[in-house]
Amino acid sequence: MIRYFLPSAGIYGGVKVGYQLAEMLRELGRRVVVASPDGEAAQWIRCAVPVVDRDEALSGLGPSDVAIFSLPHDYTPLAGTGAQLVFHCQGTDPRIDPILRDPEVTILTGWAQATEYVREGFGREPIEIGISISDVFYGGGIVSKEDRVGYMPRRGRSLARRCERRSRRLEFVPIEGRTEGEVADALARASFFLATAEGEWFGLPALEAMAAGCVVVSAPVLGGLEYLRSGENSVVAPSEALPDVLAELARPGARDERDRLRRGALATAGRYRRTCQRERLRRVLPTIPELIA
Amino acid sequence: MSAGITTVIVSKGLDALLGVCLTHLRVALEALDADGPGSPDPPTPHAIVVVDNASPIPYDLSRFPFSGIELLRFDVDQSFGRACNAGFAAHPNDRVLLLNNDVLLSPDALRGMLRLLESRPDVGLCGSRLVFPDGRIQHCGVVFGAGKIGPYHVDRGRRSDRVPRGPRELQAVTGACLLVRRSVWDALGGLDESYPFGLEDIDLCLRARQRGWRVLCDNDSESLHFESMTPGRVELDVGSRRLFMQRWSRRYTLDG
Repeated sequence: MIRYFLPSAGIYGGVKVGYQLAEMLRELGRRVVVASPDGEAAQWIRCAVPVVDRDEALSGLGPSDVAIFSLPHDYTPLAGTGAQLVFHCQGTDPRIDPILRDPEVTILTGWAQATEYVREGFGREPIEIGISISDVFYGGGIVSKEDRVGYMPRRGRSLARRCERRSRRLEFVPIEGRTEGEVADALARASFFLATAEGEWFGLPALEAMAAGCVVVSAPVLGGLEYLRSGENSVVAPSEALPDVLAELARPGARDERDRLRRGALATAGRYRRTCQRERLRRVLPTIPELIA
Repeated sequence: MSAGITTVIVSKGLDALLGVCLTHLRVALEALDADGPGSPDPPTPHAIVVVDNASPIPYDLSRFPFSGIELLRFDVDQSFGRACNAGFAAHPNDRVLLLNNDVLLSPDALRGMLRLLESRPDVGLCGSRLVFPDGRIQHCGVVFGAGKIGPYHVDRGRRSDRVPRGPRELQAVTGACLLVRRSVWDALGGLDESYPFGLEDIDLCLRARQRGWRVLCDNDSESLHFESMTPGRVELDVGSRRLFMQRWSRRYTLDG
């Protein structure tokens, strides 16, 4: 059986991406459970993956088992079990480097920047399995408010405040601590999404906002540049310039520009549908011995 | 010849209803082994165990609609889990079918369930679509809602002809009509006997999934389920629900 080890059931992008992979593997016929502290299941996303107690799962692991993990601090305890390890790379923090050096660990990546990091830094060819957005974000039917800006204050709250001071006409709505369905609803009701987390590994929320029809204004990110094409489907600008960029885009006279960016965003988000990632995963699975059913 | 099935029916009183339930069960079992004309007639691998759960007037084998039924009697009311476990222990077999006495199986119900159960080695449990007498859905799977909502029957009350057919994978199915591999049953120790009456079936499904088994529901047939016909059944549900939520709240994912 395959066990995906996660550090918590909390509202974090990495947790969501872990559940998504676990669920897709199940749909593709693999026996997969999520191993979470105290057996607690994420209550903020919609899925049907079984969850087991992490400590019990760890103590029961042996060489015939497969363990997927995505956080570097799980590497040492998992390596001690003798299980076949699969690292689901969700960022390129140098703390993952010892894992990437271990030839016994299979590496999965979600996006091109992570793939390049593994390839160039360690001479290894990871298996890029992609990343996707939950279907709930591809809404439609909800009328957005023209002057509403959604943002996630966990990282970059001060930048959001600067934008708010610059554009007092706009309504800034913090999106925090909500279920995925509530986030999707909040994004669908907004016209803009302000991505304030500079240096984000991928920035799934901005992509989700694109799917929901928002015009994305983003600080520079790392992996997210795979989908953020400034001037085509979003505007990416240095943090210090974001307040002016947003104010300019929100002008009544900039409607055509907003519509153009929104159309580009929807087209981009369409390439990150769940079905696309599952098909990609289905194709690459036969090349991953640990994950062959 | 198909794998042997032991059907366990836990029942209290309601003799006439039990008789009709048994008659429908026999037709569904015979349909399993209908290999076509001219085939030899091997001894049936199936068994039926009726667990008399302290009926005021004990059941009498001679009053059942056909012979060959095994009868197990408890003089004192047992939990549903204990009664089912005892029933299967009395006649272990390749598969166990838990069946409520108020379920009237359609002739092809067991064939569909068995086909799904044997379609893949990791399918451990299979439920079946059940309808109320007026044709509305009683059961076609169990999903889970947030907080106090917990497990509930998906599409319950909808017209059956408006709910898609075909097999469906779920987190749980009802034990009112539930086919289980013996290996799963043995590995899990059967039903948890500490539930007074109700939700031990959902508990079984969740525990099975934690070990990698899949739970499916066959939707191609529909059997009749009158639901909660046994006197006092609903009151026992309250204690079961409390216990279930103590054990499982926040430990299942939300798909409802």
